[in-house]
Amino acid sequence: MRNWFVGLLIVGFVSVLGCQPQDKKNTSTTQTTQKELKVAVAAPYTGSAAAFGEMIRRGAELRQKEINEAGGINGMKLTLLFEDDAGKGSEASLVAERIVNSPQKIVAVVGHFNSTCSLAGQEIYDRVGIVELSPGSTAVEVCERSPWTFRNLYHDGFQGKFIAQYIDNVLTDIESVAVFFDNDDYGRGLRNAFVAEAERIGLNLVASEAYERDSTNFKAQLTSIKAKNPDAIFISGLFTEAGLIVKQGREAGITAQFFGADGVDSPDFLTVAGSAAEGTYLTTPFTFGAGGTEAKQMEANFKALHGVTPDTWAALTYDAVGMIKEALEKTYNAEASIEDNRKAIREHLASLDTPEEGYEGVTGLTYFDINGDTVNKPAYVKIVKDGQFVAAEKQLRELK
Amino acid sequence: MAQLLEQFINGLVLGGIYALIAVGYTMVYGIIQLINFAHGEIFMFGAYLALMLITVFNIPFWIAVPASMLLCAMLGMLIDLVAYRPLRDAPRLSALITAIGISLVLQNLARMIWSARPRLFPTETLPAFLVSEVNMQTGEILNAIPLPGGGVLPYRDVCILLLAVVLMIALNRLIYLTKIGKAMRACAQNRVASNLMGIKTNQVIAVTFAIGSALGAIAGIMVGLSENITPTMGYYKGVAAFAAAVLGGIGNITGAMLGGIIIGLAEVFGAGYISGGYRLAIAYIIMIAVIVIRPSGLFGKSTGTRA
Repeated sequence: MRNWFVGLLIVGFVSVLGCQPQDKKNTSTTQTTQKELKVAVAAPYTGSAAAFGEMIRRGAELRQKEINEAGGINGMKLTLLFEDDAGKGSEASLVAERIVNSPQKIVAVVGHFNSTCSLAGQEIYDRVGIVELSPGSTAVEVCERSPWTFRNLYHDGFQGKFIAQYIDNVLTDIESVAVFFDNDDYGRGLRNAFVAEAERIGLNLVASEAYERDSTNFKAQLTSIKAKNPDAIFISGLFTEAGLIVKQGREAGITAQFFGADGVDSPDFLTVAGSAAEGTYLTTPFTFGAGGTEAKQMEANFKALHGVTPDTWAALTYDAVGMIKEALEKTYNAEASIEDNRKAIREHLASLDTPEEGYEGVTGLTYFDINGDTVNKPAYVKIVKDGQFVAAEKQLRELK
Repeated sequence: MAQLLEQFINGLVLGGIYALIAVGYTMVYGIIQLINFAHGEIFMFGAYLALMLITVFNIPFWIAVPASMLLCAMLGMLIDLVAYRPLRDAPRLSALITAIGISLVLQNLARMIWSARPRLFPTETLPAFLVSEVNMQTGEILNAIPLPGGGVLPYRDVCILLLAVVLMIALNRLIYLTKIGKAMRACAQNRVASNLMGIKTNQVIAVTFAIGSALGAIAGIMVGLSENITPTMGYYKGVAAFAAAVLGGIGNITGAMLGGIIIGLAEVFGAGYISGGYRLAIAYIIMIAVIVIRPSGLFGKSTGTRA
């Protein structure tokens, strides 16, 4: 008798739960199709790259607040939906399915962050036809493979080349380098670009070791690298692993110069590596020091809203949301179908193909080549000094 | 040669940690034939609890370590009491699924309390000799023993190795020389008969959980000293330690210790000499190879009922 009662309770509870979203959906579609525009912001809000996701969310929130306070997009409110891909390709596919099948009529996607995630997501976005504008994925294939994917920063073909030339031309006392790379789309791609350029310009490459994402013990590979005695070690991976590599490397007696790429550009790198981070070089697509007055204004507004200093990724996301806003402003037609509206956003972004047409944001001018790549943005070099990222004394402006 | 020696020591240190965790899996399996998947999470809680005791309550490291072991022993017993004891006579699969469930609950609990961001023991709270770092000017390494050929052995790793050996010997003595050890061995042989002989089997099982959990906790703290502390750390290290327990013959404590060392060495040599992208894969291949030749593991007794 008691079991029956419990069973009945469960059935009742489940059916109540099951009904609620249905009701909500009905009311929201009737109310909001005209008043709200929905954009998904997909990034790693949990997992080992969560520090990036946090800044992406904050950057997007700031832009959303500013847009809505200024009257929205042609009178419509901008609503952002934050979707967590945990930095994993498998999760990104699920997130992408959720976005394209959502009854919320999402018009565009800002994201993903990790290249692996952008690649996994784009297969689904392509099928439906929705823009994926990444503020962080730098693997070369990301834009090559899909007409719907764009990014507002450089790609690793450029970054790998840049790092090799910087080491060769600026850090002239470095003769031999080792590469330690994350065995995923980003780490491998960047390594390949770096190695190709190093071979071309005659930088002596003595070792190339791999590690798996989420590894925490790098002593075996570091011992192998140490045996080759390189002058510099280039870490092609993300900040959590890079922080541990630098820390464990210094423990194992490695005195080589560490060099990272944009994946290392997070304040969490400093936390993880501690005092061992000192003197590490890294490249980044943007620094506030190099930005103009708009960047300063954004930095101040960001601090006022979130209480922390924005980083590179917050700024790039801020711009990405701005670009989608501009596209919606110019093309959104409430009468047209959702498919046509999504397509119009793509057409608008694709039309930004010359410096004159480009979008002027806090991170500089963004315009796209035929693949959807941004090819005009420079790379900056930062160094860790007294536990802080500061701009390196010597920057490299022109690549050979 | 120098590199070989250094890699060998790297492998031993990692293996010692695996052995400490593997013992927890194998002891519980030996007595109640349950693969306690929540054990990896206890390992993770060990690290987090020590971190909390140090950073939030400002307790010195040397007190935080045993305190965290004690708390984890209690957590282990609590899990047994709440989740496994009611299922003692249920089909084994029910308890196994429950173990997986508990593991997920604990992992997500840690994520809720401490967030997914990696954490570390703040250097200034640790005893100075546990922190080694190279002097960038002279190339000299603080708090480490120089090895022939340019390698180094940090004092911290020496401590980990010594502690692992001491704890293993202590555990061995406990099981073979004390009354509770005798009761544990009796329960492992036949729980029903032990009960009939007047052994309070539930208490013995609780003690087994407590010991395994305390060893897991100290392994977690050791890992936290050189790596980082995350809610998923128990999963990665737990899986490798479980492989070690299976390799050694699950249920056999000596086997688990040896299995841990073998997996640790295989992982380090695989990563150091073959490819770092497949470090766990190499450890698994060795485990599978051993299991194919000796299905019950290196030290396991072959019985028809083992899963």
